[in-house]
Amino acid sequence: MKLRTNWYKIWAFSVRNTLVNRRNVFAMLELLVWPLIGVLSVGLLTRFLSLEGETVSFILIGAVTMNTVQIAQLDLSYALLYSVWSKSLKHEFIAPVRLSHILMGAGLVGLVRGLLVFVVMGGLSVYLFDMDLGRPGLEGLSFFLLGLFLNAAIIGALVLALVLWFGQRAEAAAWAFSYLMLLLCGLYYPVSVLPQEFQVLAQLIPLTYFLDYFRHFYGFPLLSRHPLLYGFSQSVVYLIISYGLVSLTLKHAYQRGTLLRLSD
Amino acid sequence: MYGMMQPAIAAQGIGKGFRTGFWGPVKQVLRQVDLTVAPGAIFGVLGPNGAGKTTLISILATLLRPDVGQARVLGLDVVREAATLKERINLAASGAHFLWCMTVEDNLRFYGRLYGLGGRALQDKIEKLLDLFGLAEYRAVTFERLSTGLKQRLSLAKALVNDPELLFLDEPTSGLDQEMAHQIRKEILRLNREMGVTILLTTHNLREAESLCTEVAFLKSGQLISEGAIPELQRRLGLGDHLNLIFQDSPAPLDYGRLPGVLHHSVQDSRVDLVLDRVEERLPAILEAVYRTEKKLAQVKIKPVDLEEIYREITH
Repeated sequence: MKLRTNWYKIWAFSVRNTLVNRRNVFAMLELLVWPLIGVLSVGLLTRFLSLEGETVSFILIGAVTMNTVQIAQLDLSYALLYSVWSKSLKHEFIAPVRLSHILMGAGLVGLVRGLLVFVVMGGLSVYLFDMDLGRPGLEGLSFFLLGLFLNAAIIGALVLALVLWFGQRAEAAAWAFSYLMLLLCGLYYPVSVLPQEFQVLAQLIPLTYFLDYFRHFYGFPLLSRHPLLYGFSQSVVYLIISYGLVSLTLKHAYQRGTLLRLSD
Repeated sequence: MYGMMQPAIAAQGIGKGFRTGFWGPVKQVLRQVDLTVAPGAIFGVLGPNGAGKTTLISILATLLRPDVGQARVLGLDVVREAATLKERINLAASGAHFLWCMTVEDNLRFYGRLYGLGGRALQDKIEKLLDLFGLAEYRAVTFERLSTGLKQRLSLAKALVNDPELLFLDEPTSGLDQEMAHQIRKEILRLNREMGVTILLTTHNLREAESLCTEVAFLKSGQLISEGAIPELQRRLGLGDHLNLIFQDSPAPLDYGRLPGVLHHSVQDSRVDLVLDRVEERLPAILEAVYRTEKKLAQVKIKPVDLEEIYREITH
């Protein structure tokens, strides 16, 4: 019974995010047009630069990763922003819902949308630029995707914490956070080309290890000996920290009246 | 365990302040507020804008934590037992706000699920609420396309999705036209009388409080300055109903101050103005006394004391 009522609460947020996405033409653009533009622009750039097969894959993996993480984290980041924009935050928090219901419900939609973007972009990369997406095998692909979604969840949760602390002003953070992370983790270049101090920062980002892991199937040397171990361990730690941060900011929101201010 | 003998709301010494910015001074919004609401009551919290009404209702509805004091709603602590309490209360506020692209039905389904409803039970509940609030024909209309009145009805419907034992209504008719406000008031009375829902409402509309509330409390600058049933407040403040006796020639030669229930009196020409504790009880005896003097009355006017008078007396 408790399991079922919890599922209904999670499902409520999944359905809400799906409805918003379905009834918003720009959300549809996010799924189809931007990924297409992303693959085409990056793919054509590799042609212009006359890059060889493996290097093209290296760069296309970056493009696919960027869009997948961006889209997957947006649903989580927007979970509270939808309520802030519609000024309905207090109605949701007067109901017996927990943060985990919101995070899981919105995260589920993020996962499906992220997966769709990955499939669309991956398919286009294979079709237009002869990328061999199947080379890492099912296991390699699954670990890589899991890594991407964990990173998206971390970014999304951090944005939620910012929204609860700063309100609508944190909207820009939904994009800025992921771009900053993507800049450091070696999206279109190996981390070794970054200045030394930035390389240290890159090692603190789990996505660095997942990219490292996935690209080694395309002949690029591993930068760390156990990329999956480092990637997943860091992800779990950051997830716990970011969940703790959201819980803390929610507690503060109850104290400071943020929930009411954001509903006015 | 909460029972009928326990108050629906029992708050003691509630205080709340908000800091301006990160380092700014704290502005005290509520000061030492004590409040008791009986089960089954419609209790009105009255006061001008900025008096702290919404802050108080938000604390009791678990949306805000008090800085000091304790409050129990339906026998549960609003901070420590908030999760359990949330299952049994709900809120509708003025200027209803829901997600713009969700239809009336989507919204009821969404909030129903948040209370753990699903399947047939949820669908039945949605149909019942759509019927109850006359929203059935608008079920597929998105929130942004609804009129203000329909939005407010949806807000009330949403507030009943979990069959709450206690309902918080924050300025429920604010911004509505007379007709719609009247409809909403009728709904509130029906919820209370037919479904037994205890209601705490905030308003700065005294007429509304008068027509709905069994008891009221006045807030001014974050302090509760008076609380009780309207007749009780009237007695406490020495306010009474007005009785004007207008005679055909000179007034009846009576010692008006000694008549039963007379709080104040004045005589001017052929007119006598009396302020009585309870006009409906005292009127026969007064008319009898006048009749015995054989003076003829031209007119008798009765004006019961109203909440506005009480409000003026309290706040000035």
